[in-house]
Parts: sequence; C-alpha cells; structure tokens
Amino acid sequence: MTAARRLLPWVSTGLAVVLLTVVIAALPWLWDTDPAATVLRTRYPERGVDPATLDALRAELDLPTNPVGGALGWLGGVVTGDLGTSWVSRGPVAPGVLAAIGVSLTLAVAAAVVAAVAALGLLAPGAARAARRGTGDAGRGSALVASVLGAVPEIALGAVLVAVVAVAWGLLPSTGFSGPVHLVLPALALGLPAGGLLARMLSSATESALAEPWVRTWRSWGTRPATIALGVARRAVATAVPQIALLVVGLLGSAVAVEELFGVPGVGSTALDAVLAQDLPVAQAAVMLLVLLGLGLGGVGVLVHRALLGPARSGGELPAGVPLPGGGARSWAPWVAAGVLAAVVVAGLPRDPSAVVEGRRLAPPSWSVPLGADALGRDLWARVAHGALLTVGTAVAVTATCLVVGLLVGVGARSTRAGAADVLNALPPVVVGLVVAAIAGPGLLGAAIAVAAVGWVPLAVHARTLAAEARASGYVRAAVLAGASPARIARRHVLPAVVGPVTRHGLARVPHAALGIAALSFLGLGAAPDSPEWGAVLADSLAYVERAPWTIIAPATGLVLLAVVVALVRETRTSS
Amino acid sequence: MTRRLAVVLAVLGLALTGCFSGSGGGDPADGRLRVGLSFPPTSGLSPYGNEATLATRLGVTEPLVVLEGGTPTPALATAWAQVAPTQWRFTVRPGVTFHDGTPLTPDAVVGSLTRAAAATPTPRALASLAGTGPALTARVDGPDGVVVTTPAPDPVLPQRLASPELVILAPGAYADPTRPSPVRAGTGPFVLTRVDGSTGAALDANPTSWRGPVAAPGIDARFLADGVARANGLRAGELDVAEAIPVSQVAAIAPPQQVVGVPLPRSVAVYLDQRSPVFADPGVRAAARTAIGTVDVAGTIYEGRADAAAGLFGPATPWAGAPGARPPHPVTPPTPPAGQRIRLATYSDRAELPEIAAADADALRRAGFTVDVTVLESSAFEARLGTGAFDAVIISRSQQLDTGDPVGYLASDFSCAGSYNQARYCDPATDARLATGAATSDVEARRRAALEVESRVLGADAVVPHVTERARVGVGAGVTGVAEDPNEQFLITGSTRR
Repeated sequence: MTAARRLLPWVSTGLAVVLLTVVIAALPWLWDTDPAATVLRTRYPERGVDPATLDALRAELDLPTNPVGGALGWLGGVVTGDLGTSWVSRGPVAPGVLAAIGVSLTLAVAAAVVAAVAALGLLAPGAARAARRGTGDAGRGSALVASVLGAVPEIALGAVLVAVVAVAWGLLPSTGFSGPVHLVLPALALGLPAGGLLARMLSSATESALAEPWVRTWRSWGTRPATIALGVARRAVATAVPQIALLVVGLLGSAVAVEELFGVPGVGSTALDAVLAQDLPVAQAAVMLLVLLGLGLGGVGVLVHRALLGPARSGGELPAGVPLPGGGARSWAPWVAAGVLAAVVVAGLPRDPSAVVEGRRLAPPSWSVPLGADALGRDLWARVAHGALLTVGTAVAVTATCLVVGLLVGVGARSTRAGAADVLNALPPVVVGLVVAAIAGPGLLGAAIAVAAVGWVPLAVHARTLAAEARASGYVRAAVLAGASPARIARRHVLPAVVGPVTRHGLARVPHAALGIAALSFLGLGAAPDSPEWGAVLADSLAYVERAPWTIIAPATGLVLLAVVVALVRETRTSS
Repeated sequence: MTRRLAVVLAVLGLALTGCFSGSGGGDPADGRLRVGLSFPPTSGLSPYGNEATLATRLGVTEPLVVLEGGTPTPALATAWAQVAPTQWRFTVRPGVTFHDGTPLTPDAVVGSLTRAAAATPTPRALASLAGTGPALTARVDGPDGVVVTTPAPDPVLPQRLASPELVILAPGAYADPTRPSPVRAGTGPFVLTRVDGSTGAALDANPTSWRGPVAAPGIDARFLADGVARANGLRAGELDVAEAIPVSQVAAIAPPQQVVGVPLPRSVAVYLDQRSPVFADPGVRAAARTAIGTVDVAGTIYEGRADAAAGLFGPATPWAGAPGARPPHPVTPPTPPAGQRIRLATYSDRAELPEIAAADADALRRAGFTVDVTVLESSAFEARLGTGAFDAVIISRSQQLDTGDPVGYLASDFSCAGSYNQARYCDPATDARLATGAATSDVEARRRAALEVESRVLGADAVVPHVTERARVGVGAGVTGVAEDPNEQFLITGSTRR
C-alpha cells in the first residue's frame, strides 16, 4: 500500500509526459496540416509547395504515420538518452534545447529574485509599522502600489527600460545574453510586475500572521518589534515560497516576448518556433524537459514550505483561520479610479474607433484627439472606450473561472505534492494556446480558454498552500477527532480560511488575463486584429513606445486603472 | 535551517552565474564589425535552405557568378558560354584557395554542384529544372573548366548558379551531406570560425582573399529575430550594421547612425482570389481595387521609406519604369458593392503588413464591403494560402528569389500551375505568353514578356500592388563599405570598415 502510494506520483508524472508527447505529436492532425509542408516552408519561405518535393522530404524525414506511433517512437529514443533529430535543422535536438533551458532558468531565477526583493520592499514598511503598533493592517497604500505594479505589462516595461537605460543612458547592453550584465534589464522587466503580484498575495499572508495570537503574546512580553517582524516574515514567506517556485517555472516558458526584445535565446522562443514550424522532436523535447523541471521545482517549493513551517505543521499547532479584523481606513483611490475609468469610457463611446485618418499618424494628444492617435491615425480615446467592455468583460470572466477552478483544486487537493497543476504551469502558454486553437479554433473564446487553462494554476497552488496550513491548525484537528467528514472539514473549516486571500490574489491577476489574451493575438487567437481590445491596442503600439509614448500610455493606463478598481472590490469586502 | 538557507543560496548563485550563451560583444576598439542579422539560423549556416544567404551576406561563401542589375557577372567563374542547347561551360577562377587552405579546383566545383542538385529538397533556384532525375549534372572539362548539363535547354542557367544555395565549398565541408558546414570552407573575404547555435557567429578576415585585402579584422555576428532589438542595438552602439530595421524604428535613428534604403525587387500587394465567391465578379474586384487604391501606404505606413507601386515591378528593376515600357491595360469599371463579406488576411512577421491590413479594411468598409481581418504567424498563414480560406491576402513577395528572372517569378505567381499563385489566377493566354517568354535567352525579350504579363494580371485585378519595398540597413557611426545589394545576397564585403 505505502509502496504503491509512493510510486503513484512517478506513475502520474510519467503518464503526463506520455500524454503531452502524444498531444504534440498529434498537432499536425489537429491542425490538418502536413508537417512536411510546414518544415519546407520554414526552410524555404515563399517557395511554394509541390508534391514531388514534399514526397522527397517526407521520405527523408521519415515522418510518423499516426500521432501515437510518432510519440512512442520519440519516447523510445528518450529512454536510451536520445532526444531525437530536428526535422528543420537535421541536427540533434539535445544541445540546443538544453542550452535554451539553461538560459531560461538563469533568467527566471534572476527575475524571481527581483520579484522577491520588490515584494519585500513593498511589504516591509507596512509590516514593521504593524508589528510595532499591533494592528492587523499591513498597509493599504503599499497594496495599491503592488496592484499597479502587478498590472504593468512586462513587455511595455521592458521596452521602456531598453529605451532609457540601454539606448539613452548607455548603462547596460540592450540585447544579448553573454554575461551577467545582460541579465539585469530582462530580469527587471519580468520581475517587477511579478513582484507586484507577489506582494498582493503576501499582504494577506502578512495580515493574517499579524493577527495570530502569538504576535500579541510576544508583544505583551516586550519582544522587540524587529524580532516580531522577522517572525511574521517567516510565516508569510512560508506561504510565498511555493509561489516563487511557481513563478520561476512559469517564467521558463512564458517569457517569449521579453526574450525576443532582449535577444535572449530562451526555451520559450525555442518551443514556440518549434511548434510553429512543426519541428515536433524539438517541441517534444522542450515541453518534456520543461514539465520535468517544473515538477522538480514545484516539489522543492513544497519541501521548503514544509521546512519553514517546521514542526508546528505536523503537530497541528498552526493558529490559522483567524478572521481578519474589519474596519480600518477606507481608501479613496479605487473610487477615484473607477470614476475616471467610467467617465473616460462613457465620454469616448460617441467617438469613432476605427476611422483611419492618414494625416494623423502617431499624432500627439491635442484638442481633436485628447489621448493622441495610433499609427493609423485612429483616435485612441475612442479605441480605449470601445475596447473597455470587451477587455474588462473577458478578463473578469477568465479570472472568475480561474478562481473557481483554483479554489476547488487547491482545497480539494489531498496532498501538497506536485500534481497536474505543476505540469500545466510548466507549459509555455503560447504552446497551450496553439493546442487550444487547434481544437477550439481561433477567436477570442479560444484565447480565453487558453489563458484560463494555465491561469488557475497559481491560484490553486496558493489555495493548496493555505489549505495545508489550515488543515494543520488545532481546530481542524479537533474537528477530525470529533469525526467530521473530509468534505465537511473542507467546506466549513478550510475553505473559509482560504477563500479571502486567494480571491484577493485572483483579482490582482485580472489585468494579467487581458495581457495574456493579447499575447496570443499574433497566433490568430484573441480579438480580431483591428478590434479595440486593450491588449490588441497595446500590442500594436509596442513598436512606438519611444516615438509616441501616448499610444501605449492610453491602454496601459486603462489596465492600471482596472487594477486599482479591482483593489476596490477587496477593500469593500474586508471592511464590510 | 541555516544549512538549508545556505543550500538555497548556493543554488541561486549557481543559477545566476550559470548559463549564458554566445560570445561577448567584443572590444569596440579592435575594429571588428558587430553585425545584427535578422533571422536565427538553425543549421549552422548550411547552404541548403533559407540560411544560405546569411553566409553570403557575411562574406563567407561565394557562388560561381553574381547578379548585378539582373545580369550575371564573374565571381568564382571568370567566364561562361552555352556550348550546346542543354550545356554551359564555366571557367573556374585560378589562384583561389578555400579557407581551409585547399585550392579551388574544377573537381571541387563539380562536387559542390552535384551535391546541391541531389539535396532534399532541391535548391529553390533549381527546383523548376528538377523533373524525374537530378536538376543538373556537372563534369570536369579540361584543367580549368566545368560543363553543366541540364535536362532541358535552360537559357538562364548562369542566373540560377548565382543562388546562395549553389555556393562552392571546400570538399571538407560535406562531412554531413544533409547539411554542409561553411565553417572554414568558403572562399569569401571572411573566414567563419564558429557558429554559436542560433545566437551568433564569429568570423576572421581572410588573409588570402582573391578579391584583395580585407579592411576589417573580423566580424562578430548576432542573430536577432526582433526588429526593435536590432534597432536598439544599433542605437546603443552595440552594433555597427543592423539589417532590416522596421519602419517604426527608422525615425528614432539619428546621425551619426543612419538607415540606408536600397530599392528591392519585392512588392507588397493585395491578391484578390479569383475563385472566391465575392471576387469571381470582375466588377467587384474593380470596386475593391478602387477602394484599396485610396490608401497611401508608402506615404503613411512606410513613412516614405518604400516606393508607391506603379505595377508589380519597381525601382529595383529600372527597365520596367522606362517611358513606354509598360503596355497599357484595360480598366474594368467598378460595380458598387452591397455589403459583401470579405475575409482579408495577412501575416505578422513583417510589422507593416498588419497595419496595411487595418487601413485596407477601413477603406473597403467605407466603400461598402463587410470585412473580417485575420493576422496570422507566417507559417500558419502560408498553410492556409490557396485553400480558399481567404478572399484577399496581403503579401510581401520577392521577385528574384529563384533566378533574378522576372518570367520565372511571374510563372510561379500567375500561371495556372504556378506554385505560389495566391490569386488563383488562371488564363491560358497569359500562360502562353509566359511560355514564349521563358523559351528565349534574350534578356530584352524576357523583360518585354514580363511587362506584358504584368499588364494582363493588373488588368484582370488579380493583384493590387501597394508598394515596392526598400532594404533598410542600419549603419553605425563611421561605418563605410556596406554593400547595397538589391538581391539581398551581400551585406558585409572586404571593404566594409569602421
């Protein structure tokens, strides 16, 4: 029994890898395309395709006749240590993919360090103040800053950093990846927004830690505030560690746009190029290694979480489940943001979002176009206003789905061991998007499904971490001794302790859902290319960030205002 | 706890100092050229495939002949002549050594050409010659000659042999016959010493280049897929030459850096699918042409850095623009559209195309059409081309990919059996004119045929040209001698220096 249970994770991991390999091997069938034709187009663009050439290429590549056979053939090679031969380059797969994973791992760890430092910097002042004064409020102001930071698009931040730090000041190299100096700008671009999200997530952990009885006890003993803050930080960091591990894994495959901007030869771009070129051996190798690495790092996160909680966890001594104290200062910023957003949208609706005006290319803000014009001379105010409903609606729907799934999976999880969530998290979102597009067809719905398919993972892991802590608390043990059923414990005791912080975390991700959908637009997923959806507007404007900053300020401000408004939901909920 | 923390820190430290890729930028003072190229190679600059041009652009490999203004001029061959209807004899340049020290001999030339003709797939320039057997056979003829035999008479064989895929490499380059390696195997002014996967390459000056002394001591090449990244590298002074600067970035590049525009034989045009339900009607096609014609693509989207199209052929092919060269074509009167739905598509790899699609869609909507726009990544886009998935597509298309021969280009794009016929245009009279053009070796006659066919497809509203493009090469402060090659085969030469 115990042996079987110990084997289970290995078996499920193996099954997941086999399944993913089959799915990737099946892509040509899902797309109903001929991999030989795609490989030919990749080697020779604009060549045209003739049957004789295709036959010759098919014979040379020895293409599989069905997905299962192709996947098993490749896996058979993997068992003997051979990751296969690329169909496009005809060279061995292993060196390129391993080097790309090394590069991405370096970048992801650096970005995670930036994120952790940023989150700490955002939370430390409030936490120290709270430790001194003894309130459970870890600082609303910093929460707002964190929300805004979390809503900044990575790629826009990267473009600004390159323009200012590398091009204008010449302090750091703009592109390349041949030494640690090349790491700084991409790590900042990826790490700062992630730090904002992390801080949002941690602020709830800090607050609940501050409200725990032992803090009061320590304070009554006259323990120094610094020591209390350290203790609180350790409790909060325990919750954060699995998220940081998740962040590292997620960044491995998802940083495609930032990788390209900085010329970083990472595994995200490698996997995307391979799938687009239907170079299946490379795609399979990249995805398999990412998943194994993701499972490994996810497992490390869980282990560190346990280590930080220490013996308290196994002894059922954790004082979790303390309800947050109500009241506190109401913040006015979210109301102002909501008002501004509503006013801008309503006032902009009568304007024409699609009229191309030739003389107005990249026109700066003026009386006729108060927010400026984009590269085609279209009125940005009109575009932001008309895109608002589409953007906010889709993003909220995606986030709500992620939240529900994340809570169900996280609270329902029997163990804190790595599972399906870690497998999905390790997959590059664009690859997931391509698979969804192959099955569901292009369009906004497909993009929303693709973003939701990976978007629930951080929430599930967060819920899983909190649920593990809640289950380790004394009163849950009491409930167990009293004979309560696992379902009842989950519903009555675990869920209430988990739902608040995870919801807050989920809301902070609303702008990210909009950005995630936009990131798939070039694959033909997402809103129509000429639609005023904010992500699409932002993607169109990235090339003009320096010449015409207003083209990017308009949609980015919309996303930031959305983030602030979303903070409002949380404020009213906890203060009612 | 402390030990655990130490382990975590050690892992972090290892990861942060661990994996970097490629060589450093090099010392800017040593005179080596830092070049940013636009697409990352996957096969170590193998001559079989698209990355063959990377090796010629960096001055590593050379073909037998080089095209100048569409006319073959000597390179590794000093002279050539058609000795029989299906045979051409090339005289191999004496005194040339490969980068590995071995001499260039007729044997080496025969070896390179024979292997290229047998490659899978057949190199693009030879594809139309390949029938059931090999596209060509080559044999040594005397101490300095090579005779090339084609299955059928081929008036443009020298043009074909100018292809970057048919470069001559040292025999040692063919250790792996599926992907020959040009590392220390070319004849050009620069010796390729190392290729770092798809990130970069290192080259040294060739001290024994047959073209004479080489100005720069070497090249550090980097492959940057993102156009904004190349522009940033140039502006930050990290690159001396950056190819294919996107239009959106040109305005940000100020002296001493500059962007050199070279007219290219490459047209950006809207292809109207002749078999689509909407565009089967010539009047509706004319209405679409009238609507699209109102969009000033060259002036606005290209900001004047492309040439407004008079036809498919532009300033890179000056013979097309000579007065009276273009025969006039009939103009179909437009039928006013009544809300017909058009599926307009393009691809995202060239940043300007999605903008053109949005502008065209707006113009078509104003004219009375209903327009759905699709923008796809290029391989997904190409996979759907010719399947009837779209009514109109916007494509940037090179006219000299194969042979520099206008008739070959038109035959692939506008003949009934054309391999790249995106308008699905099929007119037996046009096919007949293409056939007579292809049969003659007289350059003038071929050009006349090309212009007649151009006027026929324009008259049929199969294609609505927007612009002909220019190469936008970013050149850093004090850099001189960058090749301005309309065929995009050469970039860095022996005289490029900084």
